[in-house]
Amino acid sequence: MAVDYLLFEEATGYAIFKVLIQHDDIAVRLQEVQEAANDLSKFSKMIELVSFAPFKGAAQALENANDISEGLVSDYLKSVLELNLPKGSSKNKVTLGVSDKNLGPSIKEIFPWVDCLSNEIVQDFLRAIRVHGSKLFKDLQEGDIERAQLGLGHAFSRAKVKFSVQKNDNHIIQAIALLDQLDKDINTFSMRVKEWYGWHFPELAKIVPDNYSYAKLSLFIKDKASLSDESLHDVAAIVNDDSGIAQRIIDNARISMGQDISEQDMDNVSTFAARVVSLSEYRGRLYLYLSEKMNTVAPNLSTLIGEVVGARLISHAGSLTNLSKQAASTVQILGAEKALFRALKTKGNTPKYGLIYHSSFIGKASAKNKGRISRYLANKCSIASRIDNYSDEPSVAFGQILKKQVEQRLNFYDTGAAPMKNSDAIKEALELSGSDIVDVVMESDDETESKKDKKEKKEKKEKKDKSDKKDKKEKKEKKEKKEKKEKKEKKRKAEDEESPKKKKKKSKD
Amino acid sequence: MAFGAPRGRGGPARGGRGGMRGGMRGGARGGRGGARGGARGGARGGRGGPRGGARGGARGGARGGAKVVIEPHRHAGVFIARGKEDLLVTKNGAPGESVYGEKRITVDEPAKVEGEAPTKIEYRVWNPFRSKLAAGIMGGIDELGIAPGKKVLYLGAASGTSVSHVSDVVGPEGAVYAVEFSHRPGRELIGMAKKRPNVIPIIDDARHPQKYRMLIGMVDAVFADVAQPDQARIIALNSHLFLKDQGTVVISIKANCIDSTVDAETVFAREVQKLREERIKPLEQLTLEPYERDHCIVVGRYVRSGLKK
Repeated sequence: MAVDYLLFEEATGYAIFKVLIQHDDIAVRLQEVQEAANDLSKFSKMIELVSFAPFKGAAQALENANDISEGLVSDYLKSVLELNLPKGSSKNKVTLGVSDKNLGPSIKEIFPWVDCLSNEIVQDFLRAIRVHGSKLFKDLQEGDIERAQLGLGHAFSRAKVKFSVQKNDNHIIQAIALLDQLDKDINTFSMRVKEWYGWHFPELAKIVPDNYSYAKLSLFIKDKASLSDESLHDVAAIVNDDSGIAQRIIDNARISMGQDISEQDMDNVSTFAARVVSLSEYRGRLYLYLSEKMNTVAPNLSTLIGEVVGARLISHAGSLTNLSKQAASTVQILGAEKALFRALKTKGNTPKYGLIYHSSFIGKASAKNKGRISRYLANKCSIASRIDNYSDEPSVAFGQILKKQVEQRLNFYDTGAAPMKNSDAIKEALELSGSDIVDVVMESDDETESKKDKKEKKEKKEKKDKSDKKDKKEKKEKKEKKEKKEKKEKKRKAEDEESPKKKKKKSKD
Repeated sequence: MAFGAPRGRGGPARGGRGGMRGGMRGGARGGRGGARGGARGGARGGRGGPRGGARGGARGGARGGAKVVIEPHRHAGVFIARGKEDLLVTKNGAPGESVYGEKRITVDEPAKVEGEAPTKIEYRVWNPFRSKLAAGIMGGIDELGIAPGKKVLYLGAASGTSVSHVSDVVGPEGAVYAVEFSHRPGRELIGMAKKRPNVIPIIDDARHPQKYRMLIGMVDAVFADVAQPDQARIIALNSHLFLKDQGTVVISIKANCIDSTVDAETVFAREVQKLREERIKPLEQLTLEPYERDHCIVVGRYVRSGLKK
């Protein structure tokens, strides 16, 4: 297929070139173009500038750069193509060489008679245009392109940072990191309060081991001599209305072997204790915030495994999108990289669980089944994160059902009671969420599924699991249809491109 | 690291395992880096402060002003400051400012016209413990491809510490296209690029060079420090689009990032083979010892018409 025209996108505008040489033998032509790329006088005989359409200002340039980046045809590009390509018909086609193969289908949609090509020879033509740059565009002066690139590069990158898609994830990641930090700090600070106030009232730490209550009590009591039976009610209010403990505190204050404390020292202890109390209270608020955030961003994942562990998973993967792209086996050992790489290096046993270990499910399983339930839980987490990431209407239906499944699986390890089938689970979840569209799709799947089940009844359970899982994945894929298709196409095309190169090398040999 | 602060360096694509990666680097550097101020400038008070303020702070030697003699390095645009100890330096493209808290040295340049006051020239110290490119130069790399007036595509720019030195080397006539995927260090990269008009920041995935093809012209050299398992492919994709025929490719390879189960030499050999398949003719391979463990720099030449076997 011969190339008639070339589209070259540039920081200053779009350029359309007409290709003058039309050799039939592609291999000969390829070499010619490659050689000519280094020689302007030769190359300028091969192509001719049809039109150069500069952008009208920085805003338009950025808009077009974003569209080109996504493989879309902007209005401006559309008008440029319309003006400069000859009108064709379904029989009289025009071939346009483009750099990005993703741009091809978008152009074809608007101009059905334009065939887009982005093979090796087109790439070499475009490379050559890039090399000679401003010398080919008559209107441009030396340095114009560089200046435009600089301006556009800044605008493009700033926009990327400004409009990040992972907006919510960042807050979750920061919040969980802060929560961990606060836990550590509150603990060390509380130890300091106990240590300090302990010189005055050493018995208190034994009676009230809880950090928060201790700090509050130290604030309330201050000088232990001031404590009397009258304050019983107030003390009880701090220790969860337990008058027994309150009474012990008051009794112990009378017979305490603690030193007396001056007012100035007491003030300092109190200031610090107040800090600890307020930090503890802040931690509680932060936890609520995190839970709320997780329930809006990843409702199914947080229902399944809990907000904190869910947030840790997201934080470790970098974002919810990244987490949903990871395989279940990766999710399983997320956070245990050190052990994993050590195992890989020494060819030992790989770890069974990472962050997921902090889930209550694993604690419930017996030692023998910990690895199994970890694997199962990771599978469900992976599914939940994908549903969360790609669904348009957030619901917790899937999370609830997945959680139920994990619980039943735990029960199965203990008692042998058969857990529910995956297909039933998904059906139930769909009923819960009340979605109709997916329902129709699922029904057709279920019919084949139930037939299969009857046939395979005697087969091992694991196999069934696999087929069920496939079903689930299919459903998911329907949701992410577009994305995955695009990816696949990209891959295929990339492979197509690579293969001719290899062939050529061989022929040269 | 725990604060999610900029890591040692982020790859161009998702810094998922960044934590681990950074940890390794820090550890390897600790031994000697500490003595030379390898870790972030931190408590040294030198950051951004006017020169000569905190004399005798950490290292007396380099700040000796008149005692330091600047000599050109074998590679154009790179200099050596000979004082108490020898340091790698580059001429500061944005005088009066440090990018990441590095030391600056000012020397008097005798005026060309007699009778006029000597002009001051500022140089910035380039720490080979922080920059793999600097480590490569210290290790005696033969060809760099980065020289005054050249255009360079820098993949894996991170927060732009090494990029700032490359920008110094290529000078106002050259250009550095700095590609980084991660937004967090990207923020710092853009900040740095604002002060250096020859740096063009690009926050995008280096795996898809088509996405940022509008922003880049033809380049003379590609430098890649991306630390990804598929880095050979990333470099090839970018070279096919943007690198001139016979242009230079400089790649830093961290063996552990590609395959941690086999020894470093095998990984390097495999990577070189991959480059060969992508029309990059390997010229030299250089280990980064003692600055980094299990790292190497590979220099190659891009041959558009393919390698002849």
